[in-house]
Order: sequence, then structure tokens, then C-alpha cells
Amino acid sequence: MSIGEARIRVPERVTRGAEIVVNAIIAHPMDTGFFRDANGQPIPAYFIKDVVVTYGDQQIARFTWTSGISRDPIVSFTLKADREAPLAMVWTDNRGGVFKQSADIKFASA
Amino acid sequence: MILRQTIHSMAASDGSSRRNFLRTTLLTAAGMLGSGSLLEGERLLAAYGPGTDDPEVPNEEVARILRAITGGKPIQKGRLTLDMPVVAEDGRVVPVIIESDLPMASDDYVKGIHLVVDHNPDAHLAAFELSPGIGSVSISTRIKMKRTTWVRALAQTSKGEIWGAYARVQVTLNGCG
Repeated sequence: MSIGEARIRVPERVTRGAEIVVNAIIAHPMDTGFFRDANGQPIPAYFIKDVVVTYGDQQIARFTWTSGISRDPIVSFTLKADREAPLAMVWTDNRGGVFKQSADIKFASA
Repeated sequence: MILRQTIHSMAASDGSSRRNFLRTTLLTAAGMLGSGSLLEGERLLAAYGPGTDDPEVPNEEVARILRAITGGKPIQKGRLTLDMPVVAEDGRVVPVIIESDLPMASDDYVKGIHLVVDHNPDAHLAAFELSPGIGSVSISTRIKMKRTTWVRALAQTSKGEIWGAYARVQVTLNGCG
């Protein structure tokens, strides 16, 4: 995965109103700025600092991160699936990189 | 418990671990001498004072962060859980699970979760701003840890309550640089 490539995993078919688990991963080095490379040169800080989660048109969560989150950050959280709408995430890093991904929440047809 | 503490003391060589070893030794000695001498052991410990390994006595930086999050409100225990490994071989990737049975109703919900790692360069590691739309508090991720220390999860409710959970994690390989 190249930097900024992201995946969101949600159940394929959801029961209306059920609480589901959302798993998200984004490829990012999350450099702290404290390490040096093989030539002794400092590796500058480079990390995701902000994650916004929206469900349909509603922002349901927002995460503020530091470089203390591990490389290729994963995060999982729950979602009350009460409507069919896309779940979208936007990751922003400290150099202004903005990365987006979304997954559709769809109900099982009864 | 004592065995775990002793192993930790031998693995690391910084000041707090030596103090920890001292405390462990005193506790062990008190234990071996039997209940009659326990009082003596406790008196020795009290004379020594609380070490940095006591989660209720955070260092200055962490105390400042906790004050900023809680606004001086008491940290209540019992409704928030923080699951972490007792030993993290690699400080670069340490799993964290934060869960709570606190309500996520529209008029009473957890509006924020904070993750604080005592001896990390950036101790206030992450904040998770939440809303009732997520249904419940169940968050997992992976973090970096510099060395053996306490990890704290704090939950702030919409009503202004503060709930906390602490976990001590032994770190073998520095994950922060």
C-alpha cells in the first residue's frame, strides 16, 4: 500500500438499527521525528493528526492523533446503523496530505 | 505480582526501576518476616514516599494534561476499561482496547476519550471525539510506547463526568526513538 491508501471494512449486509463494527486502516509512516535513517540523517515528523468520520451527512466522530499512533494506523469503532448511507473517513497529516475513503452501509433485504 | 515486578526491575536500569526494586525488596522482606513485621515494612515504605510507579501520583507533565482534560473534576473508576498487554515486546506496536458501558443516548453520552501515556515524548497521545451515533464506546487501535509506564484512558461525558482506567505496560523495545 502506498502512503494514504486506505480501507474501511464494514459488514456487507446490516440489520437496520444494529450496532456494527467499523475497521479502518490507512498506510502512513507515522514518523515521530526522533529517529535517524541509515545515514544518520534525522527523519522528520510525518504523521496523521486528524481523522473525521461522517455517516451520511452527519459527523459522528473525530480523532486527534499524534505520532504516538503506530505506523499504518488502524482504528476500530462501533456504529449504530440506523440508515443506509455511506460511512466516510478523511485522514489529514501534518504536511497537509488529505486522504479519503468510504464504505456503504446497506441493510439486508428482508 | 512480586515476581513480575522483580523481573521488570532487572530488565531496566533507570532510577524509577531501582526504586521499584527497593520497594519490591522491602515488600518481599516484610512478607517473609510474617504479619508481625508487616507494619514495620509499611512504615519503611511510607518513609520512602510514593514513587513514580504510583498511578495516582503522576509526573508534572501528566498532571498538567490530566488537569486540562478533567478541569479538576474527580476521576471516577469502574465504568471504563482499558485493555493492554502486561508485557509489550515491541514498543512500536502496542494494542489498545477502550470500552465502556456508559450510555450513548442523545441526552447523555461519552463525548470524548483521551489516551495518555506517562513517559512518552508526547504524553497526550490521542483524543477521540464521539457522538451518540456510534452506539457504544468500543475503540481499538495500536500505539507506540517509549518505556515501561502507566497508560491512562479518560472518558468525558456530556454531563461533565470523568471516568478513568489505568494499565501498566512493560515495554522491552523503545518504540518512540
